[in-house]
Amino acid sequence: MIALKEIRKSFGRHEVLKGIDLEVEKGEVVAILGPSGSGKTALLRCISYLERPGSGRMQIGDVAVDCSHPSKKDIHRLRGRSAMVFQQYHLFRHKTALQNVMEGLVVVQNVPKEEARLRSVELLGKVGLGAKLDAYPSQLSGGQQQRVGIARALALDPDVILFDEPTSALDPELVGEVLAVIRKIAREGITMIIVTHEMAFAQEVASRIVFMDDGAVIEEGPASEFFRSPREERTRQFLRRMTPEAVYNI
Amino acid sequence: MGTSVDVSYVFEYFFRLLPSVGITMKIVVLSLLIGSAVGMLVALPRLYRIPVLQRLSQVYVSFFRGTPLLIQLFLIYYGLPELLKLAAIDVSRMPVLVFVVTAYALHSGAFISEAIRAAVGAVDRGQVEAGYAIGMTGFQAFRRVVLPQAIAVAMPVLGNLIIANLKDTSLAFSLGIMELTGKAQTLPTMSQRFFESYLALALLYFILSFILEKLLYRLERRLLRHEAADGAAASRIRRRRVKEGDASGRLNLTEEGALR
Repeated sequence: MIALKEIRKSFGRHEVLKGIDLEVEKGEVVAILGPSGSGKTALLRCISYLERPGSGRMQIGDVAVDCSHPSKKDIHRLRGRSAMVFQQYHLFRHKTALQNVMEGLVVVQNVPKEEARLRSVELLGKVGLGAKLDAYPSQLSGGQQQRVGIARALALDPDVILFDEPTSALDPELVGEVLAVIRKIAREGITMIIVTHEMAFAQEVASRIVFMDDGAVIEEGPASEFFRSPREERTRQFLRRMTPEAVYNI
Repeated sequence: MGTSVDVSYVFEYFFRLLPSVGITMKIVVLSLLIGSAVGMLVALPRLYRIPVLQRLSQVYVSFFRGTPLLIQLFLIYYGLPELLKLAAIDVSRMPVLVFVVTAYALHSGAFISEAIRAAVGAVDRGQVEAGYAIGMTGFQAFRRVVLPQAIAVAMPVLGNLIIANLKDTSLAFSLGIMELTGKAQTLPTMSQRFFESYLALALLYFILSFILEKLLYRLERRLLRHEAADGAAASRIRRRRVKEGDASGRLNLTEEGALR
């Protein structure tokens, strides 16, 4: 479904991804965890091709690309297979919630306007924003904007939805509503890769956890096992710091 | 020559100038339409850092910003035919208006390109990424996401340019175009009431600018309607402002108290 092979990425002389291998099956929900600067966001941005990997091979659905020398067409087709939910939402500021969701359908996928409208209205209803169709992003709360962002990604019917720390920019009281929506679509069997700092959420929603540090995958495994019995010392260290109990024990 | 200002002449000239508004507006509209296209084309190489074209567009912009418009009018009026002659194109029968519009279009094009360049730079990078992420091509992302937002941002600057362009058309008279200013200079040849004529002319320019200003303001509001312009968000902001006002008011009181 999704296969990454030896993905490398450098910013200048600093290598942020040191040969990442990752496979994600259809319907899997993979959470990528790791300390800041471990390269997890860089990896996600490479998969969406917002960042160009220096080398490696990447396949999403039926599109396979050699990252050393991809053609413009390759990149465009690959981007068409994934959708992204951004940390800062990045809704189109000059468009209403409805127009945001419709945009990709109408402009990229050439779906007739009326059909695109119906589908978008349905999706916005699904994320609980049926009453906000004509609101501009500036009139929505962070949580609402992020839910529009999720609807916009869903509309494209991609092979995978990539979540880049979808709740990190939100007020704590708004995190819940966004996580609830992600939980809901995870249950529908949509393939997702989620970069997050919400440990409890990752444990609950992800079928598999990938732990990264310093540009490499340190450990991966089923969510239940990962949290109960991590194999690597580096992982244990990270989990100790991230779980609240440890904080209270100090 | 009359000894004092005769208001009746001001009125008379004002109405006799009205028919010339047409030619002035023709220069404004045509040159702005062409100028926008030119400005857009010139801004692109610098936005996308295209090697040679980027330099050319820089030279173009500095030239038209750095030389007086009046000189540009003459250079184009006398120079362009010579240049085209080299390409075996004869423009000696071309109406003067064509050269005038060309000059104004190139002039405003330089400024418009700068306005667009700055405004595009002001659009958040995340907006383009969001476009790419939903599968847009670079061109689609530019046209559907960046440009509409950039134009909204540039509107105040573009508005100034449009009004400046209107006033600058008064120089077209120097090539013999009978627009407003040209007309205003010929009207009083019999009466010698030049001051009254210029007064009427100034009034007319002012009214035109005023109308344009209002229209542009409306357009700006419309283009920026997505920035918390109405509904809940606007009242939220208003409420916040009122609250801040309260707070500062109280602050002033305590300061006064301290002073006393």
